[in-house]
Amino acid sequence: MLELIDVSKVYRGGKRAVDHMTLRLGPGLLGLLGPNGAGKSSLMRMAATITRPTGGRILYDGVDAVARPDVLRQALGYLPQDFGVYPHLTAREFLAYLAAAKGISARAARARIDELLELVNLTEAAGRPLGGYSGGMLRRVGIAQTLLADPRVLIVDEPTAGLDPQERVRFRNLLSELAADRVVMLSTHIVSDVESVASDIAVVADGRLRRRGTPEDLLGEVAGRVWEAVVGPEQAALAQTRHPVSRAVRTADGVRLRLLAPEAPYPDAEPVAPDLEDAYLAVVHQSDNPADQWREARR
Amino acid sequence: MTAGRLGRLALADFRERARRPAYVLTLAAAVGLGYLAVPDPGTRWVIMQLGDYRGRYNSAYTGTATALAGALWLTLGGFYVVRGTITRDEATGVGRLLAATPLRGPGYLAAKFLSNVMVLGSMAGVLALTAPVMQLARGESDTIEPGRLLLPFALIALPLVAVTAAAALLFDATPPLRKGLGNVIWFFVWLAVALGGQGPGAPLGGIGVHGVVASMRADMTARHLDLSGQEFSLGLTYIDRPLRTFVWDGFTPSVDFLATRLALILAAAVAALLPALWFGRFDPARGGAPPQPRPDGTPAPVAAPTAPVFTGPPRTVVRPGGAFGRLLVGELRILLRGAPRWWWAVAAAITVAGLVVPLSAVPRIVLPAAWIWPVLIWSRLGTQRHEYGVESLLGGYPAPRRRTLAEWLSGLAVTALAALTPLVRFVAAADWAGVGAWAGGALFVPSLALALGTLSRSHRLFQAGYLPLWYATANGLPLLDFMGAVRTGGHPAGPPAPAVAALSALLLGAVFATGAARRGKG
Repeated sequence: MLELIDVSKVYRGGKRAVDHMTLRLGPGLLGLLGPNGAGKSSLMRMAATITRPTGGRILYDGVDAVARPDVLRQALGYLPQDFGVYPHLTAREFLAYLAAAKGISARAARARIDELLELVNLTEAAGRPLGGYSGGMLRRVGIAQTLLADPRVLIVDEPTAGLDPQERVRFRNLLSELAADRVVMLSTHIVSDVESVASDIAVVADGRLRRRGTPEDLLGEVAGRVWEAVVGPEQAALAQTRHPVSRAVRTADGVRLRLLAPEAPYPDAEPVAPDLEDAYLAVVHQSDNPADQWREARR
Repeated sequence: MTAGRLGRLALADFRERARRPAYVLTLAAAVGLGYLAVPDPGTRWVIMQLGDYRGRYNSAYTGTATALAGALWLTLGGFYVVRGTITRDEATGVGRLLAATPLRGPGYLAAKFLSNVMVLGSMAGVLALTAPVMQLARGESDTIEPGRLLLPFALIALPLVAVTAAAALLFDATPPLRKGLGNVIWFFVWLAVALGGQGPGAPLGGIGVHGVVASMRADMTARHLDLSGQEFSLGLTYIDRPLRTFVWDGFTPSVDFLATRLALILAAAVAALLPALWFGRFDPARGGAPPQPRPDGTPAPVAAPTAPVFTGPPRTVVRPGGAFGRLLVGELRILLRGAPRWWWAVAAAITVAGLVVPLSAVPRIVLPAAWIWPVLIWSRLGTQRHEYGVESLLGGYPAPRRRTLAEWLSGLAVTALAALTPLVRFVAAADWAGVGAWAGGALFVPSLALALGTLSRSHRLFQAGYLPLWYATANGLPLLDFMGAVRTGGHPAGPPAPAVAALSALLLGAVFATGAARRGKG
């Protein structure tokens, strides 16, 4: 069990990246959603023991992970959003070095690295220097290193950046399988990445936890409030100042809008089934506009 | 390109550098140098002297002494300060953004040159501000004469600022010189310029000191002071007794002198723009270094497998086990991988030389050679995790102190192996004092490299600091001999080996303390 209790992070200069956030995570996959600058990466770095919180506590199986980070680090697989590699080492050498840094025995490390290279389909390229790898291949090396020590806690920050659509789908499936008996924390601003695998979603904005629940909970909150309508360009521009607009597609007839509103915004607007992007937008929009009418009207 | 656009580009680049904490340190170093350049009259350490004499600390002499000391410092330390501006644009991706604009190569280089001049000029400016303060503090003359005080900065320091700014840019834009090799080469170029540039026949007036010295000598002659055997010296020197003084009211530059100074600035500007002939504008296919070169320096594109098969988590049971040895091997690989074959060949030649040369030449020649050759390897210590962005991965890994220890041990192994045959010869000759000095040096070099690399997160600080230290040792200065190269009566004349080992321990302590502080700061 990983617990982040009333955690805050204030950087030099007073920038409050995370503001009194509490998250308790057991086995399963938590999808952390939020706009850029919401505090996701700061939260992930604190959970991964990279950054020390300026307030609150982080516990792993009851052990204070701030005071004794190595306890969590032994059980952790962490994939940061941006990372580098030693360009002159081969993938196999790099993973062997990281396995030694994890304190894994030589025999187990060899077998594990073979399996992981196979898993991420880099066996053939494993003997070549990492300096010649493409971005997607390096990302796969990063994914492999997270699984070196059979981690009980996986923290992955924007893991699918740089992967092609096929790789993304397969990686999401892998995460889903791992989440059966592990704590998996997945941060992204790509809603579809979370939609397909997360049973638990947390939406973060302005450093605060805005909503947490299952996808069904979030969808339920916007049921009956998502509309589609075709309007003229001027109306479309006006609509974006009044309602959260999740899609705007220019067609021969005008602009097809998909937007959130407590009631039909236009006489010919049609109600549609919400998706997670609508739900996410609603939460984030409410955060930006606390006194937003459509939320108030719903209450 | 208009002057305004050039100025804006240079100013933005200057701001980026001036807002780094290291910039404040370089200005502080300039203040420290200003203090050293005008030493207390009773001190035994001086930077400028004319035999047994120095000038009274009036504006002309204080300004000249500070400007000359600054010229020496700016051409050496300043070079390393302004190095890497093109590499930084490459690493940050700014270069690729600029490459997509109409900005042409010469314009980009001109802006970088101007920015280098601004950085070095601001350091010279701080020195110029320090000079009157030191003049008043020394109390030998209360009259500040701004013209005489600042003239040496304009005529001596400024042209050398331009030369250093251009040289740094030229090295940055020339692929073989853009990294550590360029830093090492510059040290020896600087030595040649600093020593050869003082003579009357130096090209373009050299560092500009000759006219000044001639003026001082003329004033001394006019005052009937004995000039026989009185040699001009510029550079930190220990003297047996305090210097006597004479009054020097400055010099009036001749037209020829002014012309050579101007020519030096023009030559610097030409040298700065010269790389436009081969500068690739951040196109890797046109000679710009790829972000992650292979050991042989050529990119090696690896065909990406098309269908990754995320079949499921691996099943091997993970067991903890003695991993320190493999960690050490990993650190050695990281340190040594990428060294070209010719580097290994020279290292092997030095090793063989250690076995075959007469014993007397082992400490004096082979040992210094063995401990200068890996300078670019050592300078990687403490920097590579940051340089390659691996620390964001390793931050989540356990036992960071163990990794630091393994990194230091890998440096120690390189140091010991590089000078293995001198050790063998010392042991065979029962030169136990030599063995002790060797051991002190073997501990000291990787500790210094790791400490400076960890503190600065850059190769340059170690390269810039170690080369003068090594040069002093190789030239027989016992005070700084950390390896036992300088012998008196067959015994090492430098500091005792336990003192060198203790200093190494302090440096290593600083490494661990810095790591802990950075982790604590988060």
